[in-house]
Amino acid sequence: MKPPRTQPLLIEVGCEEIPARFLMAAREDFWTAINQAMAAARLVPPGASPSLRFSTPRRLAVWFPAVLMKQGDLVDEVVGPPMRVAFDEKGKPTKAAKSFAQKNGVAVSSLTRVTTPKGEYLAVRKTIHGQTAQKLLPGLLAGAVTGLNFPKSMYWKAKTGPRFLRPIRWLLALLGEGKTARVIPFEIADVRAEAATYGHRVLGKGKVHVSGFMDYLNKLSAGGVHLDPVRRRGRVQEDLKVILKGSHSRPVADPWLVDWVVNSTEWPVGILGNFDSRFLRLPREILVTVMRDHQKYFAVEDRHGKLQPHFITFLNLDRDRKGIIREGHERVLAARFADAEFFWDSDQREFLASRQERLASVTYQAELGTYADKVSRMKSIAAEICGELERAQTFTAENSASVIRALELCKCDLTTQMVQEFTELQGIVGGLYAEAQGEPKDVCQAIYDHYRPEGPEDRSPRSRIGAVVSLADKLDSVVSGFAIGQEPTGSSDPFALRRQGNGIVKVLVEHALPLPLKVLIEHAVSCMNVEWKRPQHEVFGSLVAFFEERMKYYLESGRGLRYDTVRAVVAAGWENFTDVARRADALERIRNTENFAALSVAAKRIKNILEKSASAQDWQPGSVNPELLEAGPEEQLFEAHVAVADRARRFTEAGEYEKALETIADLRPLVDRFFDKVLVMAEDRALRENRLRLLGKLDILFSGIAHFAEIAGGPGDVDASTSQAVTSEE
Amino acid sequence: MQKLKKHLKKTPEIRGLSFQDMILRLSEFWARQGCVLALPYDLEVGAGTMTPDTFLRVLGEEPWRVAYVQPSRRPADGRYGENPNRLLKHTQMQVILKPPPENIQELYLKSLKVLGIDLRHHDIRFEEDNWEAPTLGAWGIGWQVMLDGLEITQFTYFQQCGGFDLEPISVELTYGLERIAAFLQELDNVYDVRWNNTTRYGDMRQEEERELSVYDFEAASPETCRALLDLYEGEASRLLESYDPASGARFPLRKAYDLCLKCSHLFNILDARGAISVTERVALIGRVRKLACEVARVFLDRKVVVVEVEPV
Repeated sequence: MKPPRTQPLLIEVGCEEIPARFLMAAREDFWTAINQAMAAARLVPPGASPSLRFSTPRRLAVWFPAVLMKQGDLVDEVVGPPMRVAFDEKGKPTKAAKSFAQKNGVAVSSLTRVTTPKGEYLAVRKTIHGQTAQKLLPGLLAGAVTGLNFPKSMYWKAKTGPRFLRPIRWLLALLGEGKTARVIPFEIADVRAEAATYGHRVLGKGKVHVSGFMDYLNKLSAGGVHLDPVRRRGRVQEDLKVILKGSHSRPVADPWLVDWVVNSTEWPVGILGNFDSRFLRLPREILVTVMRDHQKYFAVEDRHGKLQPHFITFLNLDRDRKGIIREGHERVLAARFADAEFFWDSDQREFLASRQERLASVTYQAELGTYADKVSRMKSIAAEICGELERAQTFTAENSASVIRALELCKCDLTTQMVQEFTELQGIVGGLYAEAQGEPKDVCQAIYDHYRPEGPEDRSPRSRIGAVVSLADKLDSVVSGFAIGQEPTGSSDPFALRRQGNGIVKVLVEHALPLPLKVLIEHAVSCMNVEWKRPQHEVFGSLVAFFEERMKYYLESGRGLRYDTVRAVVAAGWENFTDVARRADALERIRNTENFAALSVAAKRIKNILEKSASAQDWQPGSVNPELLEAGPEEQLFEAHVAVADRARRFTEAGEYEKALETIADLRPLVDRFFDKVLVMAEDRALRENRLRLLGKLDILFSGIAHFAEIAGGPGDVDASTSQAVTSEE
Repeated sequence: MQKLKKHLKKTPEIRGLSFQDMILRLSEFWARQGCVLALPYDLEVGAGTMTPDTFLRVLGEEPWRVAYVQPSRRPADGRYGENPNRLLKHTQMQVILKPPPENIQELYLKSLKVLGIDLRHHDIRFEEDNWEAPTLGAWGIGWQVMLDGLEITQFTYFQQCGGFDLEPISVELTYGLERIAAFLQELDNVYDVRWNNTTRYGDMRQEEERELSVYDFEAASPETCRALLDLYEGEASRLLESYDPASGARFPLRKAYDLCLKCSHLFNILDARGAISVTERVALIGRVRKLACEVARVFLDRKVVVVEVEPV
């Protein structure tokens, strides 16, 4: 009987516990690497079902339903001299033919000929016989495992030896199924591949023999391992539902934590634990931080979102036989809550307001003084911002007073034990303490929110007062950092100022604050009581460039706009972030309409013509002389342009950019006709200049809201949501 | 006394090993794995890692297995003996295995068994936690071992120490003995832990905790601590600068390291005192690390020299 052409292939890399945060990427990368290597080795039969990938904290696995037992043969064709050179008139091989045959180690008689567009050529075909999978796989598999790169890897044998997330302890590599199954012999760091795996640390029975994929799944399942993360996710979600069934409570939704559980267990089982309800007097933020971030528990709330004295934790075990695991978790949580309770009570003995003095002994940065210094700078910046907003009638004097009060208190929580223990709660704790100590609500909320937004996904502060406090804080960080020469360059950003800059842009846009950037920077620069490392005007220039980058980053990454939309809008001015964002949104919506796409092509053409003609000194900008217009397309375009420009101006002034752009786009048929029928570069100089002036008018119209000419290509051919020019965050 | 023992025997609540029995069992277990049972170091250290039996012995090629109990001081964690879970001076069981055996995780789990922890009834987890000691120029990859949600051990594959890549690497196991004891004895307060059947942990240590806290938080003079730090650093640097490979084994290397440890502890006191700003902190850590890395360099250098000098 002929041996089968294909066989299944199973690979498992057995490890010590892989960190949960790396597991998914590790599985994907491993799967990709093996598939690429298999494809490059021509071992995947055409039309084969795709391979499957699995992972648990202790293993990465890939299964190919079918791989070729032998590579197909390759035919290599080497083209030699042309036929007319290779053979003489009598049809005898020339020296050229003979040496070509000799060079390729074949007789002239076994040469063949190929027809190319250039004519007939002598050629040699060599067959390279395919190798067996058994021979190729050892090197291929070892290479796929050791070639992986990880964000944080280690060595455990020789320094020059393999690096992996954690030490590799076993390898399973099986070609074939059942009786025909054969181990692929390879070795990594003294671990030899075998036909064996290990189950769960506690539920499994140590090393077990594996004869094929189904056997592997069964043995793992019997050995306390859900191999498939999808399965584990299902179990976790099921338990989250079932555990609280019949009660009026539910787990607080937490996709991040679900992922964490899926990627840190082989056999997840949820259990319910309880804590003393006296701890519920502590704010939800603190309780949830302790449960979620520190203990990886799901918090539980009732239907109205009120926290309940329960939690759900997931075991990596089949069950809690005697309930002692639950008791253990409850004791740990109670101790942590008791700590938090102690901090809460003892911190409250000193009001936030009276902690202000203490900020003078908390260093912010050696060259920038203490937090007291920082707060005083922030207050001067905020006073200027409030002044602007009051003049623009978007702020009252009371609003400004709230901003200043919030600023006085916002950093005071740095001196509390709660923030020293739970640093991720800075700002939030300040807001909660202020509330407990009877500060006005708007002040508390502003303190609570003032670190926001902390990333592209995070929201801006809820109120305008909070927005101004956040701006004052971030502006001070950025401008003072620049002042002492710590601005970001390339990949170095020691004070993480890009993130602060992104926050500033986001707050300005989302709160639609009418604050032109240069005014903001001027105010902030004037408030710096620090030692300048560079002349102020130079720093000012760097700051403007920095914010231009941050704004582009925000529009592209934060709002998902295409890079050329951003470029087009920025080219038309970007002083006011709110306005830039509105223009960009409008342009993004309209740019793929038929009229607009064609118009952007025309805009490019107009720009080119004008630039060339300007250098040829053919024209100077000026008004169009209607007398010189030719009846027909030219006259029609001029008249339409006058009307459209007027309407577009009115829409623009009202901030209705999309309507303005639509209006302008309506010019498209007339522009096209003009270019079809009218020769711009007329012989007559006066006529020519008049036409160029008409194009000049159009150019102004096509550059006001955005430079249409910057839009790349037509609809459908642009798939560029990022540009290389914009430095991403960190 | 007799009466008390009887009383204790009758009380059904007594659970888990006593503190000293834990030490005995772990010592015995690791001794059987070929570890030298070393003595606690006689200087203030922040962790078992800082003693020469770890810091110096993980450098170089020679295999090394050691286990020891090490009282470790972290001034900032002091709570005047009032907090049931936090200690200024806690007790570590430190184990170093160089090179690490392949079944090291299984060995570690077995060591839990000798403490009476049945893993079928407990949830044991290896959660990512990469350890780093900036003052020692040392870091490693590993986990915090969680037992029913409680961190009981730091498990680390050292990658670097004293600024040198290690080859072979060592595995370091650091058991937090008080936590494990409270866990085994099912107590909420560490001071209630039975040290043996007649003496509580609190009897042994509570007053010391209070006194150390008073000094580190209140009584310590930052000026004096700073001056001492400068003096110790100066003395260590003077020694290290005088190192001449020709002096071989006579060079007082371990004394230079002791002085470095003194600096490290003084830094911790100043930190607990709140006398160090964020940037100064970085600078001070850098100063201590410089000493530690220099000690490591001399240690490795001298090894080569000594080997060369000794007749084969």
